[in-house]
Amino acid sequence: MKNIGLISFFVAFGSLGVLEQAEAQLYGTNTFEFQYGNLPFEENTDLTTSYNQLNLYYDSGKFSLFGKAEQFLSPVEDRNYFELTQKRFQYQDDNFRIRLGNFYETIGSGLLLRSYDIPGSVFESDFYRTRYAFFRDLEGVAFDVNLDWAELKIIRSQPLQNDLPPNFEPDSVRHPDLVEAIQATFYPTDNLSVGGALMRVNTPNNSDYSQYASLMTNIQLPANFQLFGEYAIDTESDPFSFNEDQSYALYSGLNYYHGSFGASLEYKNYNDFRLGSSGFNDPPSLIKEHTYPILNRSTHVPNTSNEQGVQAELFYTFEGDHSLVANYAYTINEVARRNEYREYFIEGTYKFNDQLSLKSFLDYAVDEPKQQDNRISIGLITDKSFGESQNVIVDLQYQTYDESFQPEKIENYFASLSYSFNSSLNISAVFEASTEPGLTDNPNTFPEIETNTRTWLGFNSLYRINTSNSLALFVGKRRGGPACTSGICYEILDFEGAEVRITTRF
Amino acid sequence: MKYILLLSLLFGGFELTQNEIPNFRLKNLDNRTVSYNQIKGENLTVIDFWATWCKPCVKSIPEFVKMDKEFEDDQVKFIGISIDGPRNKAKVKPFIKSLGVDYTVLRDSDSSVMARLRVTAVPTLLIINSDNEIVYFHEGYKTGEEVEIKNKIKELLAE
Repeated sequence: MKNIGLISFFVAFGSLGVLEQAEAQLYGTNTFEFQYGNLPFEENTDLTTSYNQLNLYYDSGKFSLFGKAEQFLSPVEDRNYFELTQKRFQYQDDNFRIRLGNFYETIGSGLLLRSYDIPGSVFESDFYRTRYAFFRDLEGVAFDVNLDWAELKIIRSQPLQNDLPPNFEPDSVRHPDLVEAIQATFYPTDNLSVGGALMRVNTPNNSDYSQYASLMTNIQLPANFQLFGEYAIDTESDPFSFNEDQSYALYSGLNYYHGSFGASLEYKNYNDFRLGSSGFNDPPSLIKEHTYPILNRSTHVPNTSNEQGVQAELFYTFEGDHSLVANYAYTINEVARRNEYREYFIEGTYKFNDQLSLKSFLDYAVDEPKQQDNRISIGLITDKSFGESQNVIVDLQYQTYDESFQPEKIENYFASLSYSFNSSLNISAVFEASTEPGLTDNPNTFPEIETNTRTWLGFNSLYRINTSNSLALFVGKRRGGPACTSGICYEILDFEGAEVRITTRF
Repeated sequence: MKYILLLSLLFGGFELTQNEIPNFRLKNLDNRTVSYNQIKGENLTVIDFWATWCKPCVKSIPEFVKMDKEFEDDQVKFIGISIDGPRNKAKVKPFIKSLGVDYTVLRDSDSSVMARLRVTAVPTLLIINSDNEIVYFHEGYKTGEEVEIKNKIKELLAE
């Protein structure tokens, strides 16, 4: 039945294409990825698979249709699928929009509801061993009004539980919760916004709704100060008690900027605030969202059952485009026991000239949730251009820390050498090494515990054939682990072999 | 049947269709809604998709600030589109101010315009001509690529 629906959807697209009017457009993107290899350091893990993702759009005046089709093929029949994983009808006028189907929407700062998409990401579930696009969408209907002085959102939808693959049966289990929400935001002046949201949630096997409310504001104060915040509660909780038996989430911040100098201070306080059976809300973690691989893996995910914390950041851009960033983050949660997370980070960029720049960072953290102490991370990145078309980047990173029950310090190494020719060709070699016992041990050789340093060496190339097509090739061994983009983290599996990715815009 | 359908769509995709930019509407940093037609350049419009958490974007934006000034008299308009979500909304203004950005910055919080223009990564830069056609598409940024972008603007202005 699903496939009939899928084919019907594309037939509908095709029919619309035939009827294409002067203003109508049919366009899209396609990503095809083929892997030949396996999970390194383990046995019987044939990863010869192919994955394809097609995003197809059709616009005609104020109407638009969208469909995302995904296909996965592997030697194991049960893992394979071909599904229409998103479909949407939209009507958009100057000031209002109606969406039916799959869409993305966030209430406030995400304390009550956050959906997201990481374009281009291909997630592989370590349990189901199936590859699919990584997003959390909402399936239902949304109506929003957008005026200069006010915004209104009304949503009735079911958030996706994205740890279940598209071929999981029954499909209804992938959308377990029903969310109904309304959010209004007003802009009485250029310097002030105030808003509020009401949301009710129905979880499976439960006839009652849980209800939540939130208030939010953003105030541009004199002298370039900016104050913002959101406070959300379960409506059955006392809004002012902040007791551990209440359900609430408070997120607030103060920004300041003057010329090339900026500063921010943020505070969070969450208690018993994981919503729905799928946890579709996502309060900000209030730690620096690092993009350096070695720090990105060490990120802190907030515990919404109980967590408080602060984050402060200073940044300055000097004349000549040199820059300095300093960040401090502290969080504490007391779920089973008291856990502290403390991090100091400083990053400097020095631009010698238009052809050469040097960037370095130093990070110190105490990460009790991960049982890591004295975690020191350093990095040095040299970026050198040759003429108008060639560029070389050397990226060296190192991390060491004490881990509970481990007699030796743990060490992580990262080194990459990247060469670019124009913007059309990029070639890089990436080497990583780790003494982390969770990685060096091979579970297949139990009870023997391997402690030798584990290494990964891989080669990447990216060729942009033209503005519409690109070809990426990876050969070698790739280190997995958590990867985070804009506060959204997911696990990447180790891989050894060859991988080809073809991306097309049309 | 379904595989034939998929393959036909896949290979059909290599044929380019008209690259026309719609008159999209987004809010600026003062919460005012503006349309593309209101702020586009007379000759060329350069749109840069970026985010506060994107390192290459931080490197590229100062170059676009310089280019914006350099091509001001040639009726070339720069527009920055931040794809930061609602939770990072408050960070956009201080970030932009610290980098000295004077050109218009818009917020595409739900990435709907980004998807509409088939942009799948940040930074991505688009150049649009006076006929509203996307004539250049540049994904990613590395030091030195500003020269390639600048040369492309000059080449398009000379046409």
